[in-house]
Order: sequence, then structure tokens, then C-alpha cells
Amino acid sequence: MVSPADGIGPGLPADHLRRIQALTDIGLARLEVEELLDELLGRVRELLEVDTVAVLLLDPSANYLVATATHGLEEEIRQGVRIPIGRGFAGRIAAERRAVTIPEVDHSNVLNPILREKGVRSLLGVPLMVGNDVMGVLHVGTLRSRSFTDDDAMLLQLAADRVALATRARMSQTERTAARALQRSLLPGQLPTVPGLELAARYVPGGGGEVGGDWYDVFGLPSGRLCVVVGDVVGRGLQASVAMGRIRNAVRAYALLTEDPAELLRWLDRQVQHFEHNIMATVLCAVAEPGHVEVTVSSAGHPPPVLALPGVPSELVEVPADPPIGLTLPRRRRNTTIRLPAGANVVLYTDGLVERRGEPLDSGLARLTAAVMPGPAETVCAAVMSRLIGNEPSADDVAVLVLAREAEHEVAPLTLVEPAVPRALRGVRQAVRDYLRRAGATKEELADIVLAIGEASANVVEHAYGPGGGLLEVHLEMHGRTVTATVRDTGNWREARGTNRGRGTTLMHGLVDAVRVDHDGRGTRVVMDKTLGGVGQ
Amino acid sequence: MTEADVRTEEIEPGRLLVRLDGEVDLENALTVEERLREVITNRAESVTLDLGGLNYLDSAGLRVLFALADRLELLQIALDVVVPVGSPARKAAELSGLGAVVTLRAT
Repeated sequence: MVSPADGIGPGLPADHLRRIQALTDIGLARLEVEELLDELLGRVRELLEVDTVAVLLLDPSANYLVATATHGLEEEIRQGVRIPIGRGFAGRIAAERRAVTIPEVDHSNVLNPILREKGVRSLLGVPLMVGNDVMGVLHVGTLRSRSFTDDDAMLLQLAADRVALATRARMSQTERTAARALQRSLLPGQLPTVPGLELAARYVPGGGGEVGGDWYDVFGLPSGRLCVVVGDVVGRGLQASVAMGRIRNAVRAYALLTEDPAELLRWLDRQVQHFEHNIMATVLCAVAEPGHVEVTVSSAGHPPPVLALPGVPSELVEVPADPPIGLTLPRRRRNTTIRLPAGANVVLYTDGLVERRGEPLDSGLARLTAAVMPGPAETVCAAVMSRLIGNEPSADDVAVLVLAREAEHEVAPLTLVEPAVPRALRGVRQAVRDYLRRAGATKEELADIVLAIGEASANVVEHAYGPGGGLLEVHLEMHGRTVTATVRDTGNWREARGTNRGRGTTLMHGLVDAVRVDHDGRGTRVVMDKTLGGVGQ
Repeated sequence: MTEADVRTEEIEPGRLLVRLDGEVDLENALTVEERLREVITNRAESVTLDLGGLNYLDSAGLRVLFALADRLELLQIALDVVVPVGSPARKAAELSGLGAVVTLRAT
């Protein structure tokens, strides 16, 4: 019934049952969902003699649990805690549809840093079920160590069943449909899976739980590039949200017409000024090249992103802010290219994250840059929310999106051996391009190195061998950020013949940092070095 | 097989726009040269050669362009070459000095 260590008996089970029953029966019918949950949680805390009680409800995508009501863990709601189904304590309860108890909380069994920071020692949680559907999770915690008994679990499950029924009953069909439709227009149900790039995002309504016009969006483009958008339609409530939904879709539509962020924003501006009345929005639009080494950004009055590189203090990226959308048609909108080396993070956000009443904007921005560091996207996102929102809800709504490029993995050297014939050249270029993409070369660096190697290879094909033919060997390896390419043959080099020849050598010298040519009895070797652009360029 | 595509359009009588797309290297340079000779007839007064759609152009391809420039000069047909900023062909055209014999344009 009660763990021996506990010492205090909360009473007989029959008594519990009556009290819980009473909870749902007496005069609660008039209460809104929030007030009802609040009342029920208070009673659960009292009945089970615990320090924290929390309800997490499944979001419309059914992939996440979202903190919805709590006694003692208010930060969870303010920070918009989202727990993926199947992971962590609450995620496991929802996935396994059964009670889970954790006698001693540690890093391995609890995902949510707030539980650890609060000093919660022991946890018991049960699923919220209606019929066969999981609606969410109800969990309780204590600040001192406690072994929850089977009876505690039973009691909590009874409370959970009533919470589930009451919640569902109060969420009328229309309300739920409207809420879902709105949320679906607010945020992508699930962030896309992008190889080599980790994504994490949060949306938290402003003080009073009011949704606003903030949004974030991530989607692939037909060319293979990735489009990332964060924006803020000025205003509050349903009207701002609905306008935001329209603007978000206009951005998506224009992204199919142009992949140039500045041009896309120009179109959006024309669209908004033609079709909308009294709408103003700030938008940051970014398009990442395949491989995500380079990101082109254009800002319509939006706060600048934060860039975190390994081993360097994080900083605001200098993205000149052109006028917001919906005001005037500016003569020009500008693009800025950000270099994103392996292991780097970019954090995009709306002003609600950094603006506090009675505080200059610079302090908010300074707190943000201090909170951003290289690391997994989810961790960085949680750290930013914790450091900037903490326990003090923002007056405005907040959207945050973190992009993390995977840390550099060693790029294995590449060796190609091909017959020295013209037909082999295209395959060599293809393999070299793939290698350089893995090595994180920019588009221009890639084109330069491919052409330099192409020239050296064409020389081998044309000049190294007699009619009997021979082999073309291309070898690529990385030394730090320097690519060393070796192109060799086993024939006898001869000088270029014919008119307009010898241009290849000029090209090679112009394309890479250094070219060395060695001839010996066994053939000719051309060695070329090019250092890939430095960090932050 | 290295592939290149040659498409022409007569913008107005005597003015020819030739778009060269794909890749040009040692393997297909002669084929490309023949195609260009076919499409540019001596009735043309001026030719604009657009290399914006070219993903690869090496010295074998440049050889074709230099030869074409020579030939068209002899025939008194004006030639300018479009190499957009940042396009793969631009660097090769600049480094090889193609700009000394024809007009290089960004658009």
C-alpha cells in the first residue's frame, strides 16, 4: 500500500477511490479543460503525497508528448517541453502503455533536464488512455527517494483514467479540429530528415498561452537544396496565426519558382502588398546547398542568426536586414552567404526569444550567443530555451530552429585506376566530385579542383602513352583542410602538340594553390594542393 | 559518355543564339565542334554563345571556342560568349584568356 520508507499512510484504497470519484463528479462540469486539470492535479498531489504532478498530452502529429498541465514543474510548460514517443521516462510510458516507476533518477533514464534540475529523485507515471488510444501521460515525482508501490500505481492510474475522460469530454469535436488545424498550419508536423544535418525546433505561445504569428519551416527543394524559413507576422491571436499560415504557404510556393532567398522575399513582398491589408512580417529565408557547406540567407527585418563553430565563441552572423515584408517595395534585397563547416550550428529564432520588457535588446542577444554552442541540435535547442525562457514566459510567442551540421568524419582517401582513354574522364570527374562533397568543398572549390584534375588526366590520356595505351591513376587525400590530388601515368611524357595546346597547364596553375610535376623513369606525376576555405569565410 | 547539347534560336534575322549545355571534355570536344559548325551558317551576322548551362569545360573545349572565334572572325561574324558569374565555364574562360579574342558577358 505504502512504501515502508515513506512512513505516512495516505489512507485506505477505498477512501482514495471515493475521493477521486468525487473529483470528477462534484461541480467541475463548468470548468474549462485547464482549470479542471489544475484541480485534478492538485488532488493527485495531495492524495499521493508527491511534490510534482504533470500531464503531457500527445500532439496532433502523435509523435511527441507536450507538457500541458503541472503542479511543481511549471518550467516544463513555459519551455514547451516536447518528449518524443518511446524516449525518456514519459515517452516510454506512452509507447509501452503501462506504468513505469523510476526509484532513482539519473541521466540514463530521464531525458528531460528540468526533472533533474528540480531535484526530482523518484518518479511514477501512467498512460492516459481512452479506449485503446493513448492521449498522454500523467506522472508524479518526489524530491526525496521513494519506492512507489503497486498500490500507488493503481491509484495514479485511476486518477489518470478520469483525467483522460474528462479532458476528452471537454475537448469538443469542433475545438479539437480547430486547434489541430491551427497547429498544423503553425508548424511542420515533423521536421524533415536531412542526411548530414540535424534539426530541432520549438514553438511556445506568448504569456497567457496565446498563439501568435511566429513560425518556422524546413523543406527540401526540387534541386536538392534545403529551404529554411523563420518568420514573425506582427500581431496576436487567431488573426495573426491565420495570416501567418497564408504567408508561410506563399513562401513555399515561391520557393518552387526561385531558390534565391532575396528574390523569393521580393516576390513575397509583392504578394503581401497586393493581397493583404495592414500585415507586416519579418522573415529570414535561407537556402542551403547540398552538403550544407554554404547557406545563402536574406533577411526582411528579421534578427540575425547565431553561428556556433567548434572552438570559436558563438556570434551573430552579419546578415544585413532589408525592410520587413508588407511595408514598401525596397529597391533591392540582399543575400549573404554563410559558411557552415562540419560540426557547426546555426540558430534561427524570432524576437520573442531575446526581447524582455525593460531590457535592451543587446542583452538578450548577448545571452543568446552565450547559450549557443556546437553540439547536437536537440541539446542546443533545449539549452537555448532553458537559458532564455527559463521560468519566465516571454510576452510574445517564440519560435526557435536549430540546424547542426554533423561533425567531420574522416574522409577516406580515394584512388582511381582507369584505362587512359577519353571515355574514362567523365567517370573520374564524377568520383572526384563525390569525394570533394564529402570533404566539404564549396561549389566553387569543387569546380576548380575537378577542372584541375580533369586537365591533368586529359594530359595523361593525350600524351603519356603510345598506341598500346596505359593506365591513368588519380589519388585524392585530405591533410587537414588541404586536398592533395595526384594524377600519374607510367608512360613517357611528351610535350603538348598541335595549335592552341598547353592551355591545360595554365588552367591548372590558376585553379589550385600549388602544382608540382615530377618525371622519372617510371612515368609522370602531377601533384596539386588546394586548401579549402577557412572557418567562417 | 560525356554529353553536351547544342540548341539554336534565331532571335531576329541574322542574329543567332546558341546554347551549349552539359559537359565538354576531350571525349566529345570534336563532336561539339562539328555541331557548332553545322548550326552556325555563313548567313549569320552575329552569334551569341551561351555557356551558362555548361557544367564542365576543359582545355579541349576551350580549344574549340578559340578555333570558333578564329573562324568567325575570318567570316566577319560577330561572336560574344555568355559566362554567368559563378558558372563553371567562367573560371576556365577567364584563366585561358578567351576574353582577349571574344567579348565575355555575364548575362
